Formats: sequence, structure tokens, C-alpha cells
Amino acid sequence: MAKNYATNYKPVDLLAVAAAREVNDGDVVFAGTGLPMLAILLAQVTDKPNAVCIYEAGSVDGRALDLPASVGDSRCAWQASIAAGLTEAFYGQLHCGYVDLGFLGGAEIDQYGNVNTTVVGDYSAPSKRFTGSGGNPDINSFAKRTVFIMVQEKRRFKEHVDYITSPGWRLPKWPSGEFVHRREVFGKFAEGGPTAVITNMGVFRFDENGVIYLDTVHPGFTAEQVKDNCSFDLNISRCKGETEKPTEEEIYLLYNRVDPEGIFLP
Amino acid sequence: MGKPQKVTLKEAVALINDGDFLTFSGFTIWRRPMAFVYEMVRQGKKDLHLFEVNGGTHTEVLAGAGCIKMWESCWVGHELYGKLGEAVARGQIEGSIIVEDYSHAQCVARLLAGAYGLPFFPTALSMGTDILNPKFDNLKKAGLRDGSNPKIPMIKYDIIQDKMYNKGDILLMPAANPDWAIIYASQVGDEGTVRMFAQRYVDMEAIKAADKVIVIAEEIVPDSYLRQEPEKNMATGYAIDYVVELPWSAHPTGSQFYYDVDADFIKAFYTASKSKETFDQWAAEWIFGVASHEEYIEKLGVNRLTKLKANSVLGYSTAVKRGTR
Repeated sequence: MAKNYATNYKPVDLLAVAAAREVNDGDVVFAGTGLPMLAILLAQVTDKPNAVCIYEAGSVDGRALDLPASVGDSRCAWQASIAAGLTEAFYGQLHCGYVDLGFLGGAEIDQYGNVNTTVVGDYSAPSKRFTGSGGNPDINSFAKRTVFIMVQEKRRFKEHVDYITSPGWRLPKWPSGEFVHRREVFGKFAEGGPTAVITNMGVFRFDENGVIYLDTVHPGFTAEQVKDNCSFDLNISRCKGETEKPTEEEIYLLYNRVDPEGIFLP
Repeated sequence: MGKPQKVTLKEAVALINDGDFLTFSGFTIWRRPMAFVYEMVRQGKKDLHLFEVNGGTHTEVLAGAGCIKMWESCWVGHELYGKLGEAVARGQIEGSIIVEDYSHAQCVARLLAGAYGLPFFPTALSMGTDILNPKFDNLKKAGLRDGSNPKIPMIKYDIIQDKMYNKGDILLMPAANPDWAIIYASQVGDEGTVRMFAQRYVDMEAIKAADKVIVIAEEIVPDSYLRQEPEKNMATGYAIDYVVELPWSAHPTGSQFYYDVDADFIKAFYTASKSKETFDQWAAEWIFGVASHEEYIEKLGVNRLTKLKANSVLGYSTAVKRGTR
């Protein structure tokens, strides 16, 4: 049956739908507050009913009746298989290897997928402070795949991020600080890493060397426009065309099942 | 050891000295001991050293009021109701607060070590990040890792090679053992048994890691009731030193099965927190403008509180308007 694509949708809708499509049925998904939550919940009510969700405050496989406003919300614990705490979420689920997919956000990203959510400017004398790392680098360390959802701007897609909060594919190995491939840092502990970045302009993936490239461009934009919104020289040679549009059903479910109260969606 | 001592809020806060090392219960905007935090501001506590697995609205109240000297944590904000921790950010940028950054799970590792009497706890999470950059160790730069403060480890972390299974490098995170854990609890028994509803966050670890524990309880119930289902309890009475019974003491943060997060209140606070002047105006009204927690509750009013009251089956309010539709 041909898909019934939506003709009218907002940029944020496409972000949520594109993110939901990164979920495989049966995935154990570790999601943060906001769009990541919408993505996993949309995946569950469309074609990935066996995907389960973990929130870092400690709820495992909750079946919220009402959309949680944060990962610590009591709504996350409704019908959960476990309502534990952070030790369970980070060590009993993540460190021990259950998590397939992490959904995260970020303020700045470089071409190796290193993400900054900590400060703008020199860390020793910053001009702005964001929330800080939270669980972003932890989830990105051990999830088998990580998907970032971000705003596309030249000042956010940078040659070097001001502070590496979350580990990409090439990063410093401490104490020397020498830049190496991620596997030299994480050894046999973890094999995952950033696999996709979804912005308001396109979907990006990482090549064999851990370098970001444009995979698909959202309807209404060109690959050149996306390249112009990166500070580094973005590889657009592998772009395979337009991002699949949301379907009418996905938009309906997003606004009527996932976020009917308009908590994250306008 | 023995049963905790029942005290008033003002008496409990008076136990805290300037410069003490504190941690709190809860998670971002849930189960924070807000009444205690407001009273600390009223009593003019200063130079506090906080270790927080994550920060939240309470952190911002203390930071805005100038009570914090050192903040070791990984995150501060108000979730959906205020995207940044403006007062901590201001403190870091101006240099009035020494910020030491970790990842969330590294903070958990520190508290786990503290809770279980270990000098450190291993973790392979968040290696290869600037959290481990020696140039960014702010406590060291401030000369505070010289061993003179027994609560500050002499190194921020260590990295060792796994020689047992040859899995590679792994981090060792030093124990955090605060002087005080300030815990908001759902229920506490008359002998001090502690029960939390819904997610447990890192409250148990905070209780065990701290030298002394003050519990601010939504209600005190017979210990015999809590002992009918011991598997639901979090801590035993001899781990708790002081108990204060104080309904609505987590407001504006939420308490599962008692009340929801007061989103409008937090949004208004967040807006006020963006400058020192507007913070001070807010504090003049909501902290210094009321003499006690009872006056604060009175000022909030019965209609506001009724709306926040949790549905007894669901555990959260079904009356609050949360979104735009």
C-alpha cells in the first residue's frame, strides 16, 4: 500500500518522525527529556511496539498514560517493570550492556560527533554555561547506537567544539590528551558511538573513519544549503536524496496519542 | 545510632554550619527539600560546598542567594520549565562559585563509593571527554586538592588498566561523603524507617554516603505500618539523625502520590533567576517575605495546592494544565 504522506507539518514534526524511524523493533532505548521522548513513544505506537524505554531517573519500560514532562516524572513510572534509581539506570542497564539506542540532544557538534552541552568559550572563563553534561556522555559511551537531535546552525556545527562533553569517534585519551579513535579509549568495554544526527535540515551519519556526512536532506532544503550551515567542510557526496516525509498517520499519532496536551509540540 | 531526633525545620537548619558539605535527595525538579533550602537562605548560610548527582530548582535558589562556594555536579536546570541554571552559570562566569563538572554516571559512581565505604568506584562511562581534561580541574586550580580538606579528594579521578580481564582503561571515581544529606521523604516511620514512592533516584546512596542525615518527611507514620512491607523501604531508622515532619515541603518540586510539580511557579522563578536584581525581588517575596513554611503555604493558597494534589491512583495531578492545548 502506498504511504499517505502528510502535506502539512511543522519542522519539529519531521524531527520527531525521522528520529522515531531510527528505532528498531525490540530496541532498548535510553531517552532524554523532550524530542527524544516523543521519538521513542511515536516509534512504539507506530511499527515498533516491542521497543522499550529507559529513563535515567530509574524507570524501566514504563507505559505512561500521560506524556512525562521530564525523565524524573512520576508518569514515567506508570506500569514500569522496574521503578528503581540512577544506579540501576546507569550501571544495571547501561554499563552492563542492555541499551541498544540512545537519543540525545546537544548545543554544538564537531565532524567526529563530539558534542558540547557544557559551556561556550574557554571552559576556564566561559561566556555562557549550558545545563552541563547530565547523562548525555554516559549514554553516548555505552549505547550501541546514539542518535543526536539538534538545531542546524553554522555556529553549532563546528570544526572544534568548545568543550567535549560527550564522546564522538575521535577524541582525547587522558591523561595525555592525544586524539585517538574511540576504540582506543573505551577498549573492550563498549563498541557503540554516534550513528546519526538529525537536524531541522537533514539527517547525517558517520563514515568508516568516524567522520560525519550528509545522508538525506529534508524536503525544502538542498545539500548545498546544509553544507553552508556547517563550519567544517561537510561531505555531501553520499547524500542519497530527500528525507522521507512524515505520513498522515504519524502526524495524527504524534498530536493525538503521544503529545495531546501540547507539552513539547506547539 | 538509635532513633532519629524529631526537630523543627528551624532547629534542623540551625545545625548546618557555614562551609558545610551537603547533598540533597531528589532528581532535578522532583522530591527536593525546598522548605529546608528556603530556610537555609533565611538563616543566611554561606560558603556551602555541594555535591549533587544532579542539580535543580533548589540549587538555583541557593546559588542565587549567594550560599554556594563550591558546586560539584553534572547538570542544573528546571527541565521543561527553565532550560538553564542561570544562577550557577552566573556564579561560574563571575568566579563566585567553583564549579567541578562530572558526568551524571560519574557522580553516581562517587556517591556509590561513599555509600558503600569504598575509596573509589570504577566506571568506563564518559571517558575521552573534557570532564577528564586536567586543565579543567577547577578545585585543583583553586588549590583545594592539597589534602587539607578531608572531603576533597587529592585527585579528581584515576585511570587504571584492567589487569583481570584485559578490557582496557577504566576510571576510578573518588568517594563523596558529604557532612550532611538533606532528604525529602514521602514517609518516615516513628522509629525512622524511610519510604519513597515511585522512582528511587539516588536517595538511598545519599543517605548512606553522608555523615549525618536530616529527613524532611511529607508525613510521619507508624513504623509498624512500614514494616508490614519492608521491601518497599529505603533506609532504616539508625541511618537517620533528625526528622522534620512538614507537608508540602518539596513545593514547587513534585512528590509522587502527594503533589505534582508546580510548573507555573518554577517558570516564574526561572524568569526571575536570570539577573541578580530580579532574583532578589523574587526572594524578597517568596523567601524573606514569609517567616515560615506555614506562611509560604498560606501564601500559595488552597486553590493552587488543590490543583497540584496527586490523583491517589496515578500518583500525579490530573487537574494541572501542562501544555499549550
